[in-house]
Amino acid sequence: MEEYKVLQPFKYFNDHISVNVRPDGRKFDQQRSIKLNANSVNTADASSLIKCGKTSVVCGISLELATPKAEEPDNGFLVTNVELLPLCSSKFKPGPPSDYAQVVNNTVNDILKNSKCIDLKDLCIVSDKLAWVLYCDIACLEYDGSIIDACLATLMTSLKTLSLPHVIYDIETEEIKVDVNIRHPLKVTGLPVATSFVIYQSPDSNVALMDPTSFEEEMCGGNGANLVVCWNQGLLCGIHKFGGATLGTDGHKKLLNVAKERSKTIEEVINTCIANETSE
Amino acid sequence: MVEEDLKDFKLKPMKCELNFLNKSDGSAILAQGETVVLVSVNGPLDIKSTSQNMEKATLEVIFSSKGGKPTVSDRFKENVIRQTCETAIFGCLYPRTGITITIQELEDYGGLLPTTINCTCLALLNSGLAMRHVVAAVGCALDEAGNLIIDPTNDQIQTATATMYFVFDSREKNLVTGFSTGTFGEGVYDEALERCRAASDLVFNFYRDIVASYCNVIG
Amino acid sequence: MKVKVGDVVLPGDYCDEIASVGAKSKVLIGPGLKKEIDHVFVTKAGVLKKRNPSTFWVDSYQKRYIPCRGENAIGIVHQKAGDIYRVDIGGSCTASLSYLSFEGATKKNRPEVQIGDVIYAKILVASKDMEPELVCVDSHGKKGCLGVLSDGFVFKCSLNLIRKILSPSCPLLDSLKNEWPFELAAGMNGRIWIKANTLRETIAVGNAILGAEYLSDDEIKTMCNNIASILTGHIS
Repeated sequence: MEEYKVLQPFKYFNDHISVNVRPDGRKFDQQRSIKLNANSVNTADASSLIKCGKTSVVCGISLELATPKAEEPDNGFLVTNVELLPLCSSKFKPGPPSDYAQVVNNTVNDILKNSKCIDLKDLCIVSDKLAWVLYCDIACLEYDGSIIDACLATLMTSLKTLSLPHVIYDIETEEIKVDVNIRHPLKVTGLPVATSFVIYQSPDSNVALMDPTSFEEEMCGGNGANLVVCWNQGLLCGIHKFGGATLGTDGHKKLLNVAKERSKTIEEVINTCIANETSE
Repeated sequence: MVEEDLKDFKLKPMKCELNFLNKSDGSAILAQGETVVLVSVNGPLDIKSTSQNMEKATLEVIFSSKGGKPTVSDRFKENVIRQTCETAIFGCLYPRTGITITIQELEDYGGLLPTTINCTCLALLNSGLAMRHVVAAVGCALDEAGNLIIDPTNDQIQTATATMYFVFDSREKNLVTGFSTGTFGEGVYDEALERCRAASDLVFNFYRDIVASYCNVIG
Repeated sequence: MKVKVGDVVLPGDYCDEIASVGAKSKVLIGPGLKKEIDHVFVTKAGVLKKRNPSTFWVDSYQKRYIPCRGENAIGIVHQKAGDIYRVDIGGSCTASLSYLSFEGATKKNRPEVQIGDVIYAKILVASKDMEPELVCVDSHGKKGCLGVLSDGFVFKCSLNLIRKILSPSCPLLDSLKNEWPFELAAGMNGRIWIKANTLRETIAVGNAILGAEYLSDDEIKTMCNNIASILTGHIS
């Protein structure tokens, strides 16, 4: 079986799809099992680790203080950085971030911005003088598809567990005092959840596969997922479709609902994880 | 109601010149409203063997912004355009070759990406590469009052709560590529999709007019 | 979208006439049309043409040459490799031309072809997966008009222009040949080689061809007359 997959990947894949099953035994709209763990990195101010099937992504947030930009004196900064290192898959080569890593980063960043779940004004301490910078480093440890879903979930979990230390800023002496014992949690409104799909053009009709693996992504055009739907508390906050096979209106609508259902599940997972973490 | 619909489907004036560049295999310059983009297509070309694909042509998209400084969002634009073109071009007819699409932004007064996609499509038509279908990109914005504006102006984009861009193919009018900013409800999304789908006919007709005017001359 | 013969077509269009003709007899589909499962779709932008009884094609604008079997092309010798020459014909990769595919060539008696020479050759093999192969002889082993083009002047133009000037209905070459003598070879790959007695005449032919791209038949005749009178010194 393994030889068949290597020698005739398209045929192997098509054989599975034609009998309504995916190579790993899942149904078309079935997701992989998710394991989520908050505060897994002690040195970071907030962190989390997610495993969706074989994809595992870790996110760490570190805090820094900086002067706000002159154009937006009341805003702090939130910087996301997605890294796809050679460690996670043989697809990625060492060196500067690949185009694909930049695209993933841009998509995650866009979703976060569009969902407006973090108000950058909350990160400001003293207008025009001092503000927090949230460096959100997202590193992929194992790459097996649906990277955007995993990145966003781990980023949101980390943000939800993040608490900012109390800062006293003396305007006259410009002295900064940070009291790490008094912390107040960061305000996060809403919880955007992204769901990836690939659309496979089979001879009779096009089918959509939820939460695709790396192999499935390759079979459906190659460059990551074809469709990413992002729900945030019953509202859409980003639909990205990148070429690939097309879907009719009905199929499209169905996917939106599938993604909506999944977003509720993921939301529950994240909330449970955070609740467990705080109770410990 | 009918009258109102027709008014909504008015797009910004489009002006186009094909074969704008002498030396490239295909080129087009397109102005949609005040946004202007120049695209040049070269190919099929010989490329180095590491990037050759046995099954289909390798597509390379280079986007240069007006400032000339490459940014992460340029990479995103390149990715969107490459994946859109990959579905449109019959890549399997040109295996082991490369097709280079070079895009130069000239003026950006809103709706840069749809204009770029439409211009790329015109340049591909001009280059004579075999294509499965043509694509048309249409944008729309949701203003604060909850109204949908098809093909918004720059000011409307700036004040909008959400913008959505859709790319349709010419065969079945299915969604090829889509991207959005801001948050919006499902109903709004469906309505925007349908309206843009209807408005895409205007873009397809525009393509036909342009090709017709050039065919008459070459005849 | 449904289209008819003679219409301006875009990729993705389909024509019912092709299907209805195809139901009765065999249909020949030319460039710009492609069969997908059960439909014939247009793949290029241009005008859908038909020649009775059942040949269809799309007349489209193109500059980049895709090698095609049986066409004559003008190439430049780039490299000698073993027993073949590598010739650039403007396609995505170079074409190969064997030492032996010249008139009277044998293993001992090699043709005199140098790097940089201009060659007028016929394409024998053209496939998307393989390097194109050229020959400088016909099936009887005669060279005909093929072979090395010495002296003269080569310039590039669009593929449509070549098809236009070679079409029997185009008056350009007929008008020009009456005015002054010159030799001309037109490659389907968008290259034209011309040789006339003087430099002035060579440039005049070149300009006449390039100028004819967007002109109608009558305008071409007028233009040829104008060029001829300028050349003979009647008008300066």
